[in-house]
Amino acid sequence: MAQLQLVIVTPETTTFDQAVDSVVLPLIDGEAGVYAGHSAMIGRLGPGELRAKVGSSTERFYVDGGFVQIENNVVTVLPGVSMPSADIVLGDAKAALEQAKAESAGNAELAEIKAKSIAQARAQVRIAEKS
Amino acid sequence: MANARALDKRRKSIRNIKKITRTMELIATARFKKAMDRATAASDYTRRITSVVSDLAKAGLEVSHPLLEEREEIKSATLLVLTGNRGLCGGYNGNAIRLGVKTRERLLEQTESLQVEVSGKRGVSGFEFRDLPVDQQFLQFDDQPQYAEVVEIADRYLREYAAGKLDRLEVTYTKFHTVAKQEIVTETLLPLGKLEGADTPVEDGEKKQENLYDFVPSAESILEEVVPTSFKVKLFKCFLDAAVSEQVARMIAMKSATEAANDMIKDLSRTYNRARQSQITGEIMEVIGGVEALEG
Repeated sequence: MAQLQLVIVTPETTTFDQAVDSVVLPLIDGEAGVYAGHSAMIGRLGPGELRAKVGSSTERFYVDGGFVQIENNVVTVLPGVSMPSADIVLGDAKAALEQAKAESAGNAELAEIKAKSIAQARAQVRIAEKS
Repeated sequence: MANARALDKRRKSIRNIKKITRTMELIATARFKKAMDRATAASDYTRRITSVVSDLAKAGLEVSHPLLEEREEIKSATLLVLTGNRGLCGGYNGNAIRLGVKTRERLLEQTESLQVEVSGKRGVSGFEFRDLPVDQQFLQFDDQPQYAEVVEIADRYLREYAAGKLDRLEVTYTKFHTVAKQEIVTETLLPLGKLEGADTPVEDGEKKQENLYDFVPSAESILEEVVPTSFKVKLFKCFLDAAVSEQVARMIAMKSATEAANDMIKDLSRTYNRARQSQITGEIMEVIGGVEALEG
């Protein structure tokens, strides 16, 4: 079976660079699955879990948003922060959620930033509770 | 002629200092390599973001965003000066502080309310020495600045900019070109001005067909996210460049210190040997003189 190359690059380092069978991306409006032969695409990611299938095992990563670019069977994921889902600590994630909720939402742009941090914290809590 | 023992003592102390500067040089070299790797990783990310932006531009999207637009009136501005936490790195800190002070004066002419923020102990003490107020200081950045920490600062700027409390952000830092060339610069980070890759011309014919992407959910939505991300990465790059330049500066300063120590040891050894020689000659003359006196 044709394979996909999944590359996760954050501003600090390249977290992941490996051939995989399929990828599930947390796009901003819902998850999307990608197999080899996907058409060229640029997508906006939302906070959530990125799952990559390699053989029978699944690699799970938390991403905080960012972009994905798919071209010629190479999936490039550009999040600000990415870490293996197992590394998320539930307590920390919940604390971050409380903090995000306490932020001010004085005008439209501030409200947007607040909504974003809440969504990121919620995604972390969700992932941490599941694993 | 100086006393041989005093010369020897001096030579020993120089030798000890040489050991320290040599070690510092090696440490700086190792840190420089690590910092350099991080900077390379960051530019990899920047390159990919740039390609996303140019693909957006190729799709015929007008790249515009509140962060890109120049504001007519600059009511309040912020100046961020990046220096090191440690000294012993040649002119690195001094140059950054000097340009920072100059930029501060220039900005004060343009705006009434200026916020001065300094990263690095050396910069903070440099501003204090000149009796200039520092509104905010960051001491947590060393040779490996963390993206999460930089984003915290970047988010605050974005919030202030969105709330209208900030109209202009300038950063004074040492830009890293090559090991042999670093440059102290002041860059305007807010408004961002132009995005790299934004003015990729739309090509006709087949070429255009090749680059057709699906934009999910839409090109506009992606742009909305690209612009703040570019700002954060740009600020992060400033911090990384400053860290790399600091290590390079320290490497070079310590290298020349070690070389100077070597020269001094050579010089002192020569003087020491001469002094010792003449001391021995003097003693022999005394002995001969004594013998001759006895014989005579």
